[in-house]
Amino acid sequence: MFNLPPPDILLQLSLNGALGGAMYGVAAVGLSLIFGTMRLIFLAQGAMIILAAYFVRALFYGLGIDPFLSLLIVVPVGLGVGWLMYHGLFRKAAAEEDRNVSLLIAVGLMFLVQNLMTVVWGGNTAGVVTSYTATGIELLGVRTSFTRTMGFLIALAGTGLVMLFLRKTIVGKAVRAASEDMDAATLMGISPHRVNAIAFAIGIALAGAAGVAVATTFPFNPFAGFIFSLKALVALALGGIGNVTGALAGGILLGLIEAYVQFFISGGWTNAIAYGVFLAVLMFKPEGLFSRPYKKA
Amino acid sequence: MSNAFKWIAIVAVAALALLPFVPGAVDAYYFSFLFFVFLYAIMAQSWNLVAGYGGQISLGSHAFFGLGAYTTAILWTGNYLWGSLYDTHPGIYYFDPVTMALGGVVAALAAAIIGLPLLSKLRGDYFALGTLGFGEIVKVLFVNGGDFTGSAFGIVAPAGMFDTLRPHYWVALGLMVATALAIGALMRSRYGLAMIAVRDDEMAASANGIDVLKVKVAAFAGSAFIAGVAGSLYTFYIFHVGPDSVFDLDWMLLPLMMTVVGGTGTLLGPILGALVMYAVFDLARIVVPDYHPVISGLTIILAMLFLPKGLMRSFAGKARLA
Repeated sequence: MFNLPPPDILLQLSLNGALGGAMYGVAAVGLSLIFGTMRLIFLAQGAMIILAAYFVRALFYGLGIDPFLSLLIVVPVGLGVGWLMYHGLFRKAAAEEDRNVSLLIAVGLMFLVQNLMTVVWGGNTAGVVTSYTATGIELLGVRTSFTRTMGFLIALAGTGLVMLFLRKTIVGKAVRAASEDMDAATLMGISPHRVNAIAFAIGIALAGAAGVAVATTFPFNPFAGFIFSLKALVALALGGIGNVTGALAGGILLGLIEAYVQFFISGGWTNAIAYGVFLAVLMFKPEGLFSRPYKKA
Repeated sequence: MSNAFKWIAIVAVAALALLPFVPGAVDAYYFSFLFFVFLYAIMAQSWNLVAGYGGQISLGSHAFFGLGAYTTAILWTGNYLWGSLYDTHPGIYYFDPVTMALGGVVAALAAAIIGLPLLSKLRGDYFALGTLGFGEIVKVLFVNGGDFTGSAFGIVAPAGMFDTLRPHYWVALGLMVATALAIGALMRSRYGLAMIAVRDDEMAASANGIDVLKVKVAAFAGSAFIAGVAGSLYTFYIFHVGPDSVFDLDWMLLPLMMTVVGGTGTLLGPILGALVMYAVFDLARIVVPDYHPVISGLTIILAMLFLPKGLMRSFAGKARLA
């Protein structure tokens, strides 16, 4: 048996876990949107996050643009790239009945992006070091890093904006309708290609936002993205597939689980336990931990 | 399948089978190239069985491949199988059918154990996600396995018995043909018919008295058996079995891609896909060594954009596909 550590260490663990987990969360929100309309497991999401991180790094060292300020560039670029990506790569496959095709395009894209990054920036670990990288701040009486906190805020803001978009705009309503039932939505005059493209644009824009958070917090390399995709999938399942706020909450929960497992058991088992929880949730609560039970009519 | 197509396939296999008798061929590069084509073709058949015929998209093939590879390496280095015979016959574990079959059996058992709860609860994308999670768990288990699995480094099998790839070539070719024949025979039997029925309409299959769960688990375990044997075969080539090499996601993604490029749910598709895609990858590796993974990614995307139904369905025309 292990002794319970003092409360301040517990708080520290929880805070760091939650802040780190928010990054999985924001990646999961993007996955959730894309999965919602296209039923596609977009495995390249992690690679897109790392690509955004490299982009942020290039902006910082090349043009001297502050990483957090570069959100103003990265997010719109992400929207555009996502839109183009859908129309260039996935549009045809989306109409295909065999969904392996779009899954494989995502895999091909992941290989392509990973290796293009290696060709352009080299395979070594890179990072962004700013004047405030090592700055700590006091939060809830616990010291934590400034960049992690900013990453958390970016995740919250990103998810909040997506929620507002889905709830308050007519286009957002169309996206929600399409996620629930694409056939019925199409019959109501919603263009599948349009909602798919919107989901993709927002998904990649969120990858851009996550990229800013990753670039300022962690060292990264071209191949770090895949783990991110997997973690985002776990977060997605924890929160309930298709549930946007649930995805963020799932990411935070995953961050907490990882922090606790690392502290109480061992770093080597983190992934096994995270995926174990993932399997258990898929099997026993496939609608996610945060959704209200589905009532049958 | 049209008759002409069948003959082309038979002639192609015969030509490949005669290759080792061409003087100098054994030392040539394309000999190891073909070994890998056969290996990937076996893996592609494995995925095709559960996904193409069974209709259950599994993303865990690499776990079963790795389980087969580890089983072989552990049996071999620990000499758990042949006892004192190993001292008198140091080559006894090489391509030993029992060792290879056990690699498949361990993988199949793992598939049955994980498949029973997964397949009874999950379908479609959820099952795919579940198998992906399972693969990651197995990998972590082996990294944390201590001396038994060699931890993060893995196991090095006692090497140095052969200085030619000839046996590798024959065994791989034999296994590829045997896998194709076995799956072909299975799909002509009532069990194959049951699989197709479950894939096409679960409800109707169930209404006709088919035990849907049993069929799904059997297909999953059968696919895992094939992947396990392939992993065992790879051990005799690579000798160093480590978590990052045999549990690499490529062992799932590449066969999946080859099957789709060749033609999902066709018997020759996985073989054709493995040959074509591995040739493209290897050519890229030789011609543009610095960029070859970029080319691989591009090839996958282009193949999916322009050949989404796979080579078999696109070119074999409207002929009936076995």
